[in-house]
Amino acid sequence: MLEQGKIDSKQAIMLMLSTILPTAILTVPAVTAKSARQDSWMSIMIATTVGLLIARLVVVLGLRFPGKTLFEYAEEILGKVPGKIVGLLYIWLFFLYIGSGVIREYGVFMVTAIMPDTPIIVFHIVGVAVVAYMVRNGLEVLSRFNQLTIPTTGLLAIVFILSTKDMKLARLLPVFDAGPLPIVKGSVAPAMWLGEIVTFAMIIPYLIRPREAHRVATLSILLCSFFLTMSILEALLIFGPNVTGHWIFPAFNAVRVVSIANFLERLESVIMVIFMLGGFVKLGVFYYAAVLGSAQWLGLKDYRPLVLPVGVILVALSIPLWGENIVEVLHFIGQVYAPFALIVLEVGIPLLLLIVSLTKGKGGESDA
Amino acid sequence: MLKKITVFILLVLLTGFLVGCWSREEITQIAIILGTGVDWTADGRIRLTVQIAKPGSFAGGAEGGGKGREPASWAVSAEGKSIEEAERYLAMRVPRDIYWGHCITLVIGEEMAKKGTRIVTSFFLRDREPRETMWVMVAKGEAKDVLETHSNLEKTSAQAAGLLERMKTGYSVQLREFAEMLASKGVQPVVTRVEVKEAGVTPGSEQEKKSPAHKQVEITGVGVFKEDKLIGWLDAEKTRGLMWLKGEPMEGVITVPSPGEPDKEVSILIRRGKTKIVPKYDGKSLRFDVKIDMEGDMVEQQSLEDLAKPEKIKFLESGMAEEIKRRCNLALKKAQKEYAVDIFGFGNAFHRKYKKEWRELKDRWDDVFRQAEVNITVAARVRVIGLSTKRADVPEK
Repeated sequence: MLEQGKIDSKQAIMLMLSTILPTAILTVPAVTAKSARQDSWMSIMIATTVGLLIARLVVVLGLRFPGKTLFEYAEEILGKVPGKIVGLLYIWLFFLYIGSGVIREYGVFMVTAIMPDTPIIVFHIVGVAVVAYMVRNGLEVLSRFNQLTIPTTGLLAIVFILSTKDMKLARLLPVFDAGPLPIVKGSVAPAMWLGEIVTFAMIIPYLIRPREAHRVATLSILLCSFFLTMSILEALLIFGPNVTGHWIFPAFNAVRVVSIANFLERLESVIMVIFMLGGFVKLGVFYYAAVLGSAQWLGLKDYRPLVLPVGVILVALSIPLWGENIVEVLHFIGQVYAPFALIVLEVGIPLLLLIVSLTKGKGGESDA
Repeated sequence: MLKKITVFILLVLLTGFLVGCWSREEITQIAIILGTGVDWTADGRIRLTVQIAKPGSFAGGAEGGGKGREPASWAVSAEGKSIEEAERYLAMRVPRDIYWGHCITLVIGEEMAKKGTRIVTSFFLRDREPRETMWVMVAKGEAKDVLETHSNLEKTSAQAAGLLERMKTGYSVQLREFAEMLASKGVQPVVTRVEVKEAGVTPGSEQEKKSPAHKQVEITGVGVFKEDKLIGWLDAEKTRGLMWLKGEPMEGVITVPSPGEPDKEVSILIRRGKTKIVPKYDGKSLRFDVKIDMEGDMVEQQSLEDLAKPEKIKFLESGMAEEIKRRCNLALKKAQKEYAVDIFGFGNAFHRKYKKEWRELKDRWDDVFRQAEVNITVAARVRVIGLSTKRADVPEK
């Protein structure tokens, strides 16, 4: 095996939380609130259901092929050439795309909200350099780092409680105002984010107790959707549906409003901490999956030589892949990439793999 | 060995990332804006006035007794086609980097407000420095005059205005709430009105010969908007009615006639309350039942009678309800008949209950609202009567 490390179930849950949440709390609220407005929480509920199904799918598939990652069993199920094509699709359209997307979102956020004078590429290079070190050291180091930083996510809950003073429940009324269609439309982006649980397929083989994979995946999705719902509700309850949909980073603006006794205020650094530390891990997971996947795809004995080239590719792709300016980035995420990734990469192909493996009777020992 | 050298070189290179911020701004290099005002000039340009803190005058701690204080701020204006352009012209006069992060108040001049406030709000919502929580006010007259006053109690007039807002002495609006009102079809914006008024004198040795009247910012009601344009005012009395109909904040003082001696007044301080708006719509006629629950303390009586009797309190309560209802009706009449705008958020209440009907009505809501019937019922309670029962300064009969 290429990866020698093993992680336990708790670490896996935390890792999955960081795989999904950091960019989700920043980007998803605006996309969802724009179409589902005050019913955004329903969109998240739909997305959670979809996410749970995807998690189920991925784990069932993974447990049929113990010790194998997505890239390995894709070849076993579909045969060599089609399997390689599927593998390439995932490396290119999923891990590299989302990896570079995370870098881009991170850069865009820093440039827009915090440090406007710094060229965006600086953030991209510095970010990838740090993460490259983590990825080179393997899954265990990544998980340990994540274990260290994940408690910051709890700050989301604290900020939520602090801002209750400025909230009004009436802003969520009337319920079900615009009918079902906008709610479903609004659920695409969060479903795609929660569907990033597909990455778990790369980690299942390295669990100490793979039998707990179902529990890990389910819990990760539920926790993510809990924090995501919280950050959407926070923005909606503070600004109301009309204004929330027009912020680029509603969760960020919502934190800025917090003011307790004219003393505890200007807490935006809190959201920055969550996003930056979490963003590193998130990038790390996709970066790692891209590197490990490429190594398996190419049949290498070690994945480490690929770390640097993939890092360079990630930085290089981060700008052209996602659009010239922030408007293009937001449009691409919401209108193009999210529906595509959700339908093809997160539901379509895993489902296809499962059906084929069932009909061909491959894998077999699905004892979970 | 080679590895050690590589590590060393890498470490040295890494220090390049540690020097700190890319474009750092020391506190001595930034001009901290405390308050800003936007006016529309006679020749159709935007005039931006800023009140800049002078950190030196803040540092002193407790002020020395008779010594005259140095003003703690500097107000300066510049004109331009847009706010950002005016800011650039300002930058030619202000020898530091203009920093919006601590701006407490945004004052919109009367002419600017009539021209349209969306011209103003965009910059403050889009730029990352100004905060969503700054207080928005509309000046009677020019915003420049408001910012050029100084406060007698606080360091600067911008701080004084911000504190007045925070105490909710009038109807106060944060930028985010203003944006929310502007973005909603179910409510029209109202914004605190400020005026520069003579407010007392500054006693002291220097002023003994001729005490000049001190001019200070004062909250005097609200400005009423249709969409983003100022169309009129409500005075302080009607503003209370507005606040009670909107449901917050409820605090305030009213006077009611004393039960036994109707020509004498009794003051009641309203502590808390709740407003509930229930719309009733049958396709043709629209009615709003507004229920207001109020709780107040009796704090003062001019009459000599003993008010500490249950039936007298009952009487006071009904007088209180009458007065609250009267004030609410004053504000309502003014909004419905004169300005024809729904500044109370009845539209939002309607939307919450009749979402289908709202879709047809929302684009002509103000028209609908104008013809709507509003029934206000007030339930008032007096719970506390201060420290005395009968008046302590009246002899027994």
